[in-house]
Parts: sequence; structure tokens; C-alpha cells
Amino acid sequence: MIDRAKIADPTTHYGSARAATRHFMTQRITGALNVLFTIFFVWFMVRLAGADRAEMVSVVRHPLVAIVLVLLILNVCIHMRIGMNEVIEDYIDDEKTNHLAQTANLWFAILVAAITVISVVKIVFWG
Amino acid sequence: MAARSRPLSPHLQIYKFTLTMANSIIQRGTGMAMYFGTLLIVLWLGAAALGDGPVGVVNAVYGFWLVQVVFFLATWALFHHMLGGIRHFIWDSGNLLDPVGRETITRIQFVLSIVLTVGAWVLFVWLKK
Repeated sequence: MIDRAKIADPTTHYGSARAATRHFMTQRITGALNVLFTIFFVWFMVRLAGADRAEMVSVVRHPLVAIVLVLLILNVCIHMRIGMNEVIEDYIDDEKTNHLAQTANLWFAILVAAITVISVVKIVFWG
Repeated sequence: MAARSRPLSPHLQIYKFTLTMANSIIQRGTGMAMYFGTLLIVLWLGAAALGDGPVGVVNAVYGFWLVQVVFFLATWALFHHMLGGIRHFIWDSGNLLDPVGRETITRIQFVLSIVLTVGAWVLFVWLKK
């Protein structure tokens, strides 16, 4: 059975020796924050689902909403990038395809974050 | 010394399929579904930044019943994945890893994710109309 002592024992070698601990911690920290962001996200979706543009602008323009929304987007993108990378590392055996997929994953996360953050900034400052 | 291939580790098909195994796959599945689901948010917020016309188009498409089914499933994916994360925090702390505990906590996760999803839709979507 895997117990506390086994998890804590460094000689049992769980995962990559280079980056596993950082990914492990980042995934859990962003995950814990995402639990809090979920409350905001549900409120945001309920408030604005199906709303017209004028109403969206009026809600998103509130500084607290805009700031939390941007932080949520960044947090989610970091979390989903690590998550998808785990899946790629596990299931794509060919090394070249694996690296290509990891690069594509990184850029997908960056683009999702960039487009949404730019959209929010545009709404906040220019309506 | 003659090269001999190393023994392969047993994979999924060797073991009896269990609830926690299925849920592990579901945790990855819901994560990957939401990964691509972010595109729905990208389109929505992007349209809002562009103008009234694009928002109208997105709202019309998102209001279509089939897309509403996707949103319902996405709500469950969000809650189930989130509760799965909390379950992992409990496991990371070394608790409920025994055969009975891990099965029980997984069952609780399914019940809660379904209750939260149906509850959210009843309260915020169906009763709102």
C-alpha cells in the first residue's frame, strides 16, 4: 500500500527527476486556486450567459471583475498546459511527435490566454 | 552478453477494472474536454470585444439546444474535475487511500458532481426562465 512514508521517501523515485516536483506543486497550487475561481466563474457565467454586449461591458468593466477574470484565465491556462503535457508525455511514444505536441500545447495555452486577456482589456478600456 | 528486451510492466488490461481506475480516466477526460472547451470562452469574449454583431451570432449559436447540451456536460466536467482535484488533495495528505476509503470517496465525488450540476442548472437556468 502507498502510505505517507513511501510518498515521502526520496529513494522511491516518483516521476521525472528534473521537473516533476515543480510541475506537481504548480499543478496543485493552480488547482487549489481554481477551486476558488470556480465560484467566481459560475457567478460570471450565470450573470452574463446570453447577455447582450452592453450588459457584458457593464459587468466586465468593474475593476474587481476584470482583475479576477484575468487572473482566472492565466491560472487556468497554466493548469491546463501542465495537464495536457502529462497526457502527451504518457501517450505519445514517438519522440519527435511528442515534442511537437508539447510545443503545440504550449502555444495553444498562450493563445487562449492572450486572446481572452486582450478581449477583456479591450472591453475594460475601450468598451 | 546477449541483448534481451527488458520485461514490460503490466498495463491497464492486466488488472480488474475498478471505479477508481475509471475515475482516473474520467479526470483526464474531463480535463482534456475543458482544455478544448476554453475555445467556447475565447469565441464568446472575443466576440464581445469585437462588437454587437459578433456577440449576437455567438449568443444565437450557444442558445441552440445541442450546444446547450454541451454546456450542461461542461458544467458536470467542471464540477467533477474540481471535486477530483479536492480528492487528490485528500489522497496527497495520505488519507483515505485504503480500499474502502478510496472507493467511498470516489462514489461521493460522483454524487456531489451530479448534484452540483443538476442543482446549478435547476437554480440558474431552468427556474430563471
